[in-house]
Amino acid sequence: MSNVIQIVILGLALGGVYALMASGLTLIFGVMRIVNLAHPVLIIAGAFVTFWLFRLYGVDPILAMPVAAIALFCIGVILYKLIFEKEAASAKYSEMTVLLTFAVAMIFDGLLGWLFTNTQRVTTPSYATDAIFIGDIFIPTGQLYAGIASLVVIGLLLLFLQYTRFGYAIRATTQNRAAAQLMGVNVGLVSLITFGIGIGLAGAAGSLVSFIFSFFPAKHWEWIAILMSLVVLGGMGKLGGVIAGSLILSVIAAFVGAYIGSTWSTMTFFLALFVILLVRPQGLFGDKIEEA
Amino acid sequence: MAVQQLDVDNVIEARREYNAGLASLDKGKRVWQFPVLLLLVLALFPLVQVMDGYNYVLHLMLYTFMYVAMASSWNILGGYTGYISLGHNVFFCIGGYFSGMILAYFGVSTLITAPLAGLAAAAVGFVIGSVTLKMRGPTFIISSIALLMVARILFDNWHFVGGSNGITLPQLELDAQWMKIPYYYAFLVIAALTVWTSYKIKHSKFGLGLRAISQDEVKAESAGINTRLYKVSAFAISAFFVGMAGAVWGEYLTYIRPNIFLIILVAANLVLMCILGGKGTVAGPIVGAILLIAFNELSVVYLGSSELNILGTGVVMLLALMFFPTGIIGTLAAKKKLPRFLDWD
Repeated sequence: MSNVIQIVILGLALGGVYALMASGLTLIFGVMRIVNLAHPVLIIAGAFVTFWLFRLYGVDPILAMPVAAIALFCIGVILYKLIFEKEAASAKYSEMTVLLTFAVAMIFDGLLGWLFTNTQRVTTPSYATDAIFIGDIFIPTGQLYAGIASLVVIGLLLLFLQYTRFGYAIRATTQNRAAAQLMGVNVGLVSLITFGIGIGLAGAAGSLVSFIFSFFPAKHWEWIAILMSLVVLGGMGKLGGVIAGSLILSVIAAFVGAYIGSTWSTMTFFLALFVILLVRPQGLFGDKIEEA
Repeated sequence: MAVQQLDVDNVIEARREYNAGLASLDKGKRVWQFPVLLLLVLALFPLVQVMDGYNYVLHLMLYTFMYVAMASSWNILGGYTGYISLGHNVFFCIGGYFSGMILAYFGVSTLITAPLAGLAAAAVGFVIGSVTLKMRGPTFIISSIALLMVARILFDNWHFVGGSNGITLPQLELDAQWMKIPYYYAFLVIAALTVWTSYKIKHSKFGLGLRAISQDEVKAESAGINTRLYKVSAFAISAFFVGMAGAVWGEYLTYIRPNIFLIILVAANLVLMCILGGKGTVAGPIVGAILLIAFNELSVVYLGSSELNILGTGVVMLLALMFFPTGIIGTLAAKKKLPRFLDWD
């Protein structure tokens, strides 16, 4: 029994981090219908920001989160201005943006690999290797702190979306872009800022990733499908859905890893992605996806 | 209620005549001399190897033929039908392993078993396609990446085929001077076959249906096209040639390993070649393949690292998508400046 509780706790802690990793993705999809394949590589960019802050100045990875988030926010805004703004009118918009983000992913992959080489890296704050024991159950403090930090960030995001005027505009745009525009929402600005926030969230997630996984630039390809499975499970564009989806899938993956073998735990995400796309393409919590 | 009966037969007859007229007009204008001449030159080219010292050129050429075959093949699904697959190298891998395992265990050369490998890839493609082609647009692209990841995990952990270390294959017993010739011809034949098939499909009712699907699937369906069957067939056909190319490539390299087939750069190359040359045109993937391989080769020579190569590929792809989304052939054709020898459609 304690074994099962142990696995659930580990799964939930990891799920919290996955939720943060995927929340920016779902936010961007919700507002702009962009499937951002470059999201995972930008998470790794955030991890590198954290890594160098930690290595050079000894900044704690969790405290480095705002820095990484702001740096990546700026990158996101620049990317949106340079690339995605003019694509809004293109005929096959959603396919076009997928290919564009794919190209962006390759650019960052190559750039990071060239600058920092493809060796495995990890930040090592003191708590990353510690664990807390409660009876038989042990909780690695690194994952615990990461899970808590990511829930805090997601909580702040939800508060922002719920209680500020701008958040209100973002939610309106997600629900119906044309209607929001008719109601006087500056949809262009909302898109720009949301893209920035989404990428900023990737940066924040990168800080956490830097000490719970080892990372290298080319690793992001396997994360794409994992994050996509979370987003699709939650219903694309649904923030609440993606949080629930991450927690559920991570716990399942933890069980698969414990009882079948750790290679197959990543497989859980991919198979879940196929099954969901086929059986319930709108996700567990989503409405029907509009055809773009 | 009296409805005037239209003379349907006459109308159909007249239309058929008109269409035949159009088709023959089209045929007269079409260039066939250039491709045939090109093929002839390429077929005679290995004669230079009598002098020896052209192994690098031969390697580059057969590498280009392979990518021409794969990109043209991808184009049938991605260009004509509009379903963009970022996991098409799964079939490359299946072809490579199918023939590679036969070679390793029974000693039958992949040059002979390549068509079988193609069929195996097509069969797998048919099954996978009938599942994943239910999705549309971005969802399909995501599922194709997931497919690649699933295949990678499976092949990395499948001990019968050597896991992530792969297996080595026996070499042909030939001098280094003649080593590349059989593969040169094999890839030339595969590439020619693929381009010819791509051309034939484009000018068939099947190809028309595929292009209708890429424009508007719902309308295509209501116009009486069996969209499901068309899509899945296109998927299987495009898997067939990629599988064949994979089979020969494995023997050429003398080893098969998941990380030569199942890396995203291969898939990215296929997509990029078609976009660069012109998606949905016959000559586009060929032009794209030649340009991209030249670019890759130059960047390896002058820049030297594979990371910069990835970076460069990404930049080219981004610029091509942003400024020439219809590719070189498409852009030139739209401006009516396409040279006649490239007008293969």
